[in-house]
Amino acid sequence: MASGALLPVFALMTSLLASLIIFTLPEDRGRVRTLVNIGAALIKLALVAVMIRGVAIGQEYLLAFDMLPGVEFVLRADALAMLFAGLSALLWLLTTIYAIGYLEASPNRSRFFGFFSLCVASTMGIALAGNLFTFFIFYEMLTLSTYPLVVHRGTPKALRAGRNYLIYTLTGGAVLLLGIVCLHGLVGDLRFQEGGHFAGAGPELRGALPWVFFLLVSGLGVKAALVPLHGWLPQAMVAPAPVSALLHAVAVVKAGAFGIVRVVFEVFGLESAQSMGLLSVLVVVASVTILYGSAMALYQVDLKRRLAFSTISQVSYIVLGLCLFGPVGAAGGLVHLVNQGIMKITLFFCAGNYAETLGAHRIDELDGAGKRMPGTSVAFTIAAFGMIGAPPLAGFITKWMLGIGALAEGMDWVVGVLILSSVLNAAYFLPILHRLWFRERTTPWPKEYRWGRLETSVWLFWPPLMTAVMTMAIGVFAAMPFSPLAWVILIVSREVAL
Amino acid sequence: MTPWLMAGLLFTPLAWAVLTLFPAFRLGRVLTRLGILAQFLVAAGLWMTVAQDGGFYYPLGGWKAPLGIELRVDGLAVTFVVLTAVVACACGWHAGDYLSPETGRHRYFWPLFWFLWAGLNGVWLGADLFNLYVGLELISLCSVGLVALAGNVGALRAAIRYLLAALLGSLAYLLGVALIYGQFGSLSLAGIQALVASAESFPGAGVGLFIMILGLALKTALFPLHGWLPPAHGIAKSPVSALLSALVVKASFYIAARLWLALGEELGSFVLAQAVGVAGALAVILGSWLAFCQSRLKQVVAYSSVAQIGYLFLLFPLTFGVPDSVVQLAQQGIALQVISHALAKAAMFLAAGNLILSVGSNRVEALAGVSRFLPFSLFSFALAGVSLMGLPPSGGFTAKWLLLQASLASGQWWWLAVLLLGGLLSAAYVFRIYRASFVESRGQDQFYHPPRVLEAIPMMLALMSLCLGFVSEPVLAVMSLPFEEGG
Amino acid sequence: MNAVAPHLLLLSVVLPFGALALALWPGGRFFYRYTLPWLPLPALCLGMLAPDSSLELPWLLNGGLWLVDDLRRTFLVVTALVWSVSGLFAVGYLKRVHQTRFCVFWTLTLAGNLGLIVAADIASFYSFFALMTFAGYGLVVHEGTVDANRAGRIYLAMAVAGEMAILAGLLMSAELADSARLSDLPGAIARSEQRDLIVLLLLAGFGVKAGLPLLHFWLPLAHPVAPTPASAVLSGAMIKAGLLGWMLTLPFGEVSMPVWGNALVLLGVLGALGGAALGLGQRRAKAVLAYSSISQMGLMVLMVGAALAEARQAGTLLAVVALYGLHHGLAKGSLFLSTALALPERRSGRWLLWGLIALPGLSLAGLPFTSGSAAKLAMKDVLAPPDYHFAMASWLPAFMSAGAVATMLLILRFLQVQNQGAARGDNVLCLWLGWAASLLASVLLFWVLPWPESVPDKRWLHEMLAGAWGLTWPMLLAIGSAAVVACLFRQR
Repeated sequence: MASGALLPVFALMTSLLASLIIFTLPEDRGRVRTLVNIGAALIKLALVAVMIRGVAIGQEYLLAFDMLPGVEFVLRADALAMLFAGLSALLWLLTTIYAIGYLEASPNRSRFFGFFSLCVASTMGIALAGNLFTFFIFYEMLTLSTYPLVVHRGTPKALRAGRNYLIYTLTGGAVLLLGIVCLHGLVGDLRFQEGGHFAGAGPELRGALPWVFFLLVSGLGVKAALVPLHGWLPQAMVAPAPVSALLHAVAVVKAGAFGIVRVVFEVFGLESAQSMGLLSVLVVVASVTILYGSAMALYQVDLKRRLAFSTISQVSYIVLGLCLFGPVGAAGGLVHLVNQGIMKITLFFCAGNYAETLGAHRIDELDGAGKRMPGTSVAFTIAAFGMIGAPPLAGFITKWMLGIGALAEGMDWVVGVLILSSVLNAAYFLPILHRLWFRERTTPWPKEYRWGRLETSVWLFWPPLMTAVMTMAIGVFAAMPFSPLAWVILIVSREVAL
Repeated sequence: MTPWLMAGLLFTPLAWAVLTLFPAFRLGRVLTRLGILAQFLVAAGLWMTVAQDGGFYYPLGGWKAPLGIELRVDGLAVTFVVLTAVVACACGWHAGDYLSPETGRHRYFWPLFWFLWAGLNGVWLGADLFNLYVGLELISLCSVGLVALAGNVGALRAAIRYLLAALLGSLAYLLGVALIYGQFGSLSLAGIQALVASAESFPGAGVGLFIMILGLALKTALFPLHGWLPPAHGIAKSPVSALLSALVVKASFYIAARLWLALGEELGSFVLAQAVGVAGALAVILGSWLAFCQSRLKQVVAYSSVAQIGYLFLLFPLTFGVPDSVVQLAQQGIALQVISHALAKAAMFLAAGNLILSVGSNRVEALAGVSRFLPFSLFSFALAGVSLMGLPPSGGFTAKWLLLQASLASGQWWWLAVLLLGGLLSAAYVFRIYRASFVESRGQDQFYHPPRVLEAIPMMLALMSLCLGFVSEPVLAVMSLPFEEGG
Repeated sequence: MNAVAPHLLLLSVVLPFGALALALWPGGRFFYRYTLPWLPLPALCLGMLAPDSSLELPWLLNGGLWLVDDLRRTFLVVTALVWSVSGLFAVGYLKRVHQTRFCVFWTLTLAGNLGLIVAADIASFYSFFALMTFAGYGLVVHEGTVDANRAGRIYLAMAVAGEMAILAGLLMSAELADSARLSDLPGAIARSEQRDLIVLLLLAGFGVKAGLPLLHFWLPLAHPVAPTPASAVLSGAMIKAGLLGWMLTLPFGEVSMPVWGNALVLLGVLGALGGAALGLGQRRAKAVLAYSSISQMGLMVLMVGAALAEARQAGTLLAVVALYGLHHGLAKGSLFLSTALALPERRSGRWLLWGLIALPGLSLAGLPFTSGSAAKLAMKDVLAPPDYHFAMASWLPAFMSAGAVATMLLILRFLQVQNQGAARGDNVLCLWLGWAASLLASVLLFWVLPWPESVPDKRWLHEMLAGAWGLTWPMLLAIGSAAVVACLFRQR
């Protein structure tokens, strides 16, 4: 019990403590800050790895106490939690490395890294939350800790984006809270539980539950950027690149998606959600979002903005997968939680590299960047193809599972959505790749920095390459044990009790 | 043990008030700090006693009611005693460094502070209507004095306005007390409760209750009777504002709540309950909106108090004509709200004081760039804001959760909307401040950096309000301890 | 050899990927282009020497399986050979500008092309197919001209559409088959209710690559603009990937589908004749050759159509299609390479070279004692009408003859255009070597490779003589009509 209960707490505390230490560090203590940052990230990664091993052999880590009469605070490491926790621990390390390079010699670093760590602590909490109440605590904590990151630059544009971000997410949070309270009022405190709680729900519950579901999902949908609740996301990309990377890949957007996963799987249960007809609506919303996001991305000239719309589209694959009723589709959706994260973080890292090294923000400024920055461009290319769903990269695994899942449940039209979305993805990514590799540079770069031997700073160079390698490895070695796909299949087999 | 504790609790403040009446500011400060420590220990000791043995009635000097003064020492009261100790402790300590010793009138802060504390303890523990009145008057007079301590014309005007409002409120309360006494012939709350429950009809009692609540609402600055509060709280010195917002307004509310919980079920009506609730709701929404519109930092915080006080009055509709379990939820929610607001608002006023001190202006726009060089006070401000917004894991959140649960369970779903909207609106004004501090200003660090102590105190308060959420359960457990007759 | 084969299998695919490492440092980059001819050699050994063998890669994707069998061996040989000789040619052909980039895309495309041939599980097959498609874009647009970019855009658009059709088709059939193996797909498709939709998707998807008429638009644009060695591999090797895709996935031999058979035969004829007609109007040698590829693929499509229509004949027919593909790949590769050769100044040398350049062309047209003649004879043999019962069956011989005439006309047009456009002067050694190797492969290799058992061997002298007239009259007809046209033009 003792070590079992404490591991999740330690995992949370590493970044929380790091954040507190960093807040108190003076601005000029860069080396100590770097040490704390990376040290905490490594420790957390190790802790998560230990927990993953434990969960794989069926151990459970649980910490619970009453926060209010009848309302528990629960931290629990189950397979699903570890999927998200593993992702965020891993990407936190890389993003920290990247951010250190990115913010070198820029002001307000203590503030930035403090909130950055806080943000990761919240993400970890979201992953480990064992009931909706606990989930909500960290969900709102995430909102608060990301706001300073979004407005970090302090420009009017950033402040405006921050304001919209808050309006959306806090309202979403309020709706979510309402949903949680309603659920609590109906059935009391519910821990997340494999298979859900409402398998044998009586008719008196069936009347109210769809409304609760609606409240919960629309509250979570704001962060998951489901259309029409997505308005904040494209604006939030004014944040510094590592923030966008984290926001789009792990923290905010994923928190919403992960919440929907929890609600569908472990509160309602896949089968009862389906039998109540809740998923049919959601699948349509997800499909619309997928297509809308892709279509909008086509029209963006700013690289990061295009990536932002791409996120809107990609995250909905997760939701889509859940709504395909079957285990295969669910696995496809879940594995995209990881896949999208790794691919999107690569893309944002690269976008940041182009902006920092060449001063190129718009897509038409990227002509010939492949020759100047081959490493970054290779990473970008791999991730872009992954997003399109080209085999054998990560995105393909998702699309394949989703497609098979949809067909298995007779929802053939979903394949159409997948195909159309892939075509749109190709339509907005491939022209960028063409510019990178096949256009000649005729004019000087907008604002070029030289870093010596490498194409860019060491801190900026390796993270995207590493995530790009992961993008490939996830796809190519999908059948290995402990690959995301294998882990997801473990989760699904526990959820659906095959 | 208990008699010593009780004596310490009531008489230390009075003794110190007298003690600090004459010395200069610096000596007063030393004395006060000693007293604060003593008082804090006593409060904590009493809390431990109650947490172990449960609540009791304590006849002062061994004379039982109705002849003597009897004190009601239950979980709720003792929790508030501790709360007062914490907040007063923080504000007193803060004031010692914040107020300039060179200004002669500042030395009056100490006696006023101690009288105020005595009055507050009297109110928390008072068990009969007249004692409560005495405590209330003491508090009001001290508060007015503290407001006037700022010394300028505006402060005096605000103080006079405050004085008039407070007196009017007291008069209304006294009138109500007279009516009730005329009906029941008793001033003891428990006695009246017993009489009311005996199923006779008391035609004038309802009116008496209404008038008392009206008077108390005026003193608590319930919308639309809030006009006196923002100027007074806004213009007073920061530690004073903190005391006023965190504790003083709570005292009159506490009396109103006790009255309502004891007599409301029989003497009140659904319309009255709902009307008070609606006033509270309007306070939440309009107060937040007005806070959002203010251009001066402390005015924002002051209007935020108006809004937060609005939540408290949701107690009335949520405890009228509903099952006991809901009453329990609502009571717990409101109690938590009082505590978390007290901590958060004190933190916020103290932090705002620091911010104003360092930028040299009380305008919100002047905060541009502060987040770069003065993050500590700003951080305290923001953490306190988290509690005001009702976001987790703060005490504000758990309070809101309980209130949401209560309104859902009572079927009065319209309060759900008020609670959620109120949270969003408070986010609007808190983040407005925060946002202003993120604006990048060109200049270098040209801010005055307040001493560490001044920065640490609001931070501690803010952290307490933030972490209150995690310990809500034990706190609530003490509050709802069974009541033990006699003691 | 049995023990080595799986390792060779792995090496054939992994070697090109390994070569990518050369791009990482300057010395490697300098050295890179010299490795191009050697990269396909393990695959060539595998195709020529290795027995049937397979390699399980359980950790790969959804569980990988790579293998070599008769069908794949044929494709391996042609692919590896064409890539190898073109690689040799490329060593001499490449300019300094963007050389590394070209080499990287070349290697990636090669890896994809070889990989898709040996892949026997759906995921790795599709992966390699996509790799080849997308990396091929780099070869198409390498020159960076306006034409190249336009061709690249159309290539990419159609390729993406094709990939998506394939993805949909594979998804549906894989779901039905509940298997990750390609070999389980045809049966599952044959039994499916959605058979027609799946067949349509797969036909169209792979048809883009195979230059199926109406899906061919990219081909005559892309093949000519690419650097010459790239054109050779595009037309000689990569185009066959579409063909292989059909053979591996469509339900040949499982069920007869006369409707699809008829449609494909018609499309094939349309390609064979229409491609030739359009090709005659081209002014650039490589464009003529590109249309010739469409035309030749048309003949193969025709056979595929027949195989689809008659389940019983499918096995034999597919073996012939593979043979034909082998022959066409080698010949077309050689022809494309020859477009970049400069002709010698001396008249005799020029005539000699002309003859050698024309040889693979004539082979395509079916000149007796060339690979083309054997392939065509085998084709005629298995397409004999009595064995077929679908509507178009009786027209097959006529279509084939018309195709032969069209082919010869195109070759004449190519020679004419080439004569007008070719430069005079010396060639770099590697150009000579590469081209000579391709010529030798085209002329000789066909005679030494094993002949599929199900098809009567047509390489014997008496077979040739017996079929000689049938082979030559279309050629003569074409020459005659070309002469008439030429006279008419000269008189004007």
